[in-house]
Amino acid sequence: MHRGLVVTAMLALAAGAAWGQSPPASEQAEQVKALLERVEQLEKRVAELEARPAAASVTTAAVTAPSAAPNPEVQQEAAKPEPSHQMEGHMDQAAVRQMEPHYPNLQIRGFADMDFSATDQKGTTSGFNLGQLDLHLASALSPKISYFGEMTFTAHPTNYTVEVERSIIRYDYNDYFKISFGRYHTPIGYWNTAFHHGAWLETSIDRPEIVKVGGTYTPIHFVGFLVEGNIPSGGAGLAYSVGVGNGRGDTISRPGDAGDNNNNRAWVANVFARPVKLYGLQIGASVYRDKITFAGGRNFREWITSAHLAWTRGDPEFLAEFSNVNHRQYFTNVSTNNPGFYVQMGYRLPWFEKTLKPYYRFEYLHTPENEAVFTNLDLVESIFGLRYDISSYAAFKTEYRRASRLPGTPTINGLFLQTSFTF
Amino acid sequence: MKMTYKRLAAILWTACLMCTLLSWRAEGQTSRGTDIAVVVNPDTPISDLSLADVRKVLLGERQYWSSKLPVVLLIRAPVARERDVVLKVIYQMSEDQFKQYWVAKIFRAEAATPPKIVYSNDMQYELVTAMPGAIAFVDARNVRPGLKVLRVDGHLPGEANYPLR
Repeated sequence: MHRGLVVTAMLALAAGAAWGQSPPASEQAEQVKALLERVEQLEKRVAELEARPAAASVTTAAVTAPSAAPNPEVQQEAAKPEPSHQMEGHMDQAAVRQMEPHYPNLQIRGFADMDFSATDQKGTTSGFNLGQLDLHLASALSPKISYFGEMTFTAHPTNYTVEVERSIIRYDYNDYFKISFGRYHTPIGYWNTAFHHGAWLETSIDRPEIVKVGGTYTPIHFVGFLVEGNIPSGGAGLAYSVGVGNGRGDTISRPGDAGDNNNNRAWVANVFARPVKLYGLQIGASVYRDKITFAGGRNFREWITSAHLAWTRGDPEFLAEFSNVNHRQYFTNVSTNNPGFYVQMGYRLPWFEKTLKPYYRFEYLHTPENEAVFTNLDLVESIFGLRYDISSYAAFKTEYRRASRLPGTPTINGLFLQTSFTF
Repeated sequence: MKMTYKRLAAILWTACLMCTLLSWRAEGQTSRGTDIAVVVNPDTPISDLSLADVRKVLLGERQYWSSKLPVVLLIRAPVARERDVVLKVIYQMSEDQFKQYWVAKIFRAEAATPPKIVYSNDMQYELVTAMPGAIAFVDARNVRPGLKVLRVDGHLPGEANYPLR
């Protein structure tokens, strides 16, 4: 724990030094504002000069009057002013050509994080670890066809693993119907599709236990097809996604990337609302059904139900997700329920340019004794954390966690630090 | 177990109370200035949008004007007043939150490209007139012939109750 404190102090000092070196943002902003105002004045002057020769024939110049309400029809029918200066015309056209979409285009973005952890759990050691290096590709192949890919590089004691997390090709018909094929993050609940593998996007250092990457509780990935879109619903802002795919593989934490292990496809349906009058709110529910086949031939029906409520505006932020995983063995008909939930609250403080965000998360997960698919996942955990956004694209996070797993086992306390960023 | 559910209920209740109290404030509006017109390419089959619809377009939740015409979103570069108004009134986000929103949006595979950044009114004018489906935000004094100005909540720039100012 002492070592942890030393590291915290070092990070704080580094942050302070970095802060001190950055140029005064307000001064720069003022300069840019002044320059932009100057550009605006010059543009206005050019527009006036351009308008002069055409003034005799075009009588709708009233649009430039500040108090006049521009009539859309008049604007539409009015003649386009001809540029008086050949060079300017060429420059504008070149800029327009540059801005016009070209296909295929490709955007690459990376996410990475570096972590430190120290707990009082017996048998564990404190230390640094390299988090995931995550590369995200987005490519528009045509105005209606897009490709999205996500690859991660994860450190292990003896090597690195490279994983294709998502690989999706999507065809958009319109806002109400988009169909895609590939490997997804299963649209169950909120967190799994809101944050993916980018630690920087999450307020907290890690995912909640019910959607833990590599965990078994929720099938994080899904290989198949997905139909999604908005539902015409006025102010309710409804949207849906429905998918069919391979479901869990032989190792239940993994999807059947190279083929399903039975002839039963999994399906998932997710509906959520973003009400117009409550901008920032999302309420949703999901169901997932699959048949799990173990190597020994044991079969289980899996039925996951989930509901979530998210207020994502940051001041305050509130996320809550409840899930229940039901398993029924085909042969014995024994049924078990595994409830789990988390509630996370954060508030972006009004000081220091809103860079500080304290947060709290409570997590609960229970597996009954006669559960046959999961090993024991019991957890009751409280997380107190502070996120500091050092820039628009990088953050420091500190967490104190207090967790208890099985009854009778000691409570574990831990200090966790992370710096995460996108590039 | 009963204790846990009681604890959950207490947390939810406290959180709801906090959300209500902390988010209790006036709608984001900039200091009163000239109106910001919402302009589109003249071929766009729309002439009136509610402020909620404008928000959906800007958030990338509405990406098509019709099944054959995708929305092309143009936003002025930082520090321009048009951008300030769009961020404060429509997005209700800071500059950082806006950037983070679009990084997350593309990362979630909900959009393939972010809004196009334009650096001047001339550039904005050229792009809106040249690109079908383009939508941009222009100081009402600088609206030029050849652009289609949309009504927002039934009002044009310059009218009372026009929401973008």
